[in-house]
Amino acid sequence: MPAILFDQVSVAVPTDTSPEPKVLLDGVDLRLEEQRVGVIGANGSGKSTLLRLVNGLVQPTAGKVTVDGDDTASAVRKVRRNVGFVFTDPLSQLVMPTGREDVELSLRRSAKNGAERRRLAEAALDRLGLVHLADQSVYELSGGERQLMALAAVLAVDPAVLVLDEPSTLLDLRNRELLRRTLAGLDQQIIMSTHDLELALEMDRVLVVEKGRVMFDGAAAAAVAAYRTLCMAGLEEAQAPDLRGPGR
Amino acid sequence: MRGHGFLLASYVPGNSLLHRTPLAVKFLLVFACGLASFVIVDWRVSLAVLGALCGLFLLTGAGIKRLWGAVRPLAAVLLVIGLFQWWQLGAPTAARIVLNILVCVVAASLLTATTPVQQLLDGVVKAATPFRKFGADPERFALTIGIMLRSIPYIAGTFADVRDSARARGLERNPRALVLPVFITSVAFARQTGEALAARGLGEAED
Repeated sequence: MPAILFDQVSVAVPTDTSPEPKVLLDGVDLRLEEQRVGVIGANGSGKSTLLRLVNGLVQPTAGKVTVDGDDTASAVRKVRRNVGFVFTDPLSQLVMPTGREDVELSLRRSAKNGAERRRLAEAALDRLGLVHLADQSVYELSGGERQLMALAAVLAVDPAVLVLDEPSTLLDLRNRELLRRTLAGLDQQIIMSTHDLELALEMDRVLVVEKGRVMFDGAAAAAVAAYRTLCMAGLEEAQAPDLRGPGR
Repeated sequence: MRGHGFLLASYVPGNSLLHRTPLAVKFLLVFACGLASFVIVDWRVSLAVLGALCGLFLLTGAGIKRLWGAVRPLAAVLLVIGLFQWWQLGAPTAARIVLNILVCVVAASLLTATTPVQQLLDGVVKAATPFRKFGADPERFALTIGIMLRSIPYIAGTFADVRDSARARGLERNPRALVLPVFITSVAFARQTGEALAARGLGEAED
């Protein structure tokens, strides 16, 4: 498996409301070598920022990230060839009118010959059992089918690492299961953020991210338990809003 | 998110004469129809050309439903244009203008219905290759066309969604409640598309 290294990585962004930049990630130090790494945490905790660093979509403001020795800042093109990224909403990822066309788009750089591209696209679609859906408009596909189509477009170029940002969030139970089974059959190193704790339990290693820091890093069951404890502690601290109307 | 109201017909696999016609010839047909819309001055000629193009479209096997689907989004605009021109310039001129617009849309639909997008993109790359010596990247030309084809239904779908949510809040007569969300959603879509392309290493300069 390629080693993904985070060396004292921080990410901060300027805000309109404060002169101080908002810290999204703070001093993250990691070495990820396991085949399946899960990232869990509350909304806004820094999970997506952490994942985007792996593909070079976000650059660190301090520290550095390397994938198999390649710096995501100075060798971003090489990194992106090795790291596929699947977004939460497949509709923002599928940029062509049909799935087949989108998969072929992925292959335009690596396969210049049209016939070769079509053959490779067919193989990529066939691998995920999507050939029968390949010529439908992406709008006609269900959420799960779209997510699998987006996955096929990313896998078509055979990346060594697959990063998935909450891929099951918009899916119903059946489609979530379909996605889970598909991911289980892949050879790539997978780094995935998720709110689906059942899915997180299947990972080799799970990171719990909270307020831009990795609060727990370890085996899946212990990480999920730590996350639950963290959530419950947060709930007890927070005061429930009074939703009753005036005069009640 | 709905995605509909696409102005041009999407590709329909087939083996008709037009499917087998070289891309350059089909492109010339569209170009000639666009040019003819400036040249034709008799609405009866426009009607005849439109009839011929509709006949050709049906011969491809794409079906009348798809033809109507390509024209329908324009119906309201054509009605407004037609009525305005009728009032300003008379019925024959109004009919000619409306028919000529339809000629262009049906001709473009003939191209998109019988040509896979990747073949279209390859054609664009080939046509743009001479510009490489001026620093242009032909693949980017192709990517732009591809994204345009995909973005039109997305924005049309956004408009339908926003209109429904405005209706649900009783704001259907408030233009700000319609235009502003569509604008913001479109900008967000453009950003997401850019991010998705960057993540896949598409649209970057060739190595």
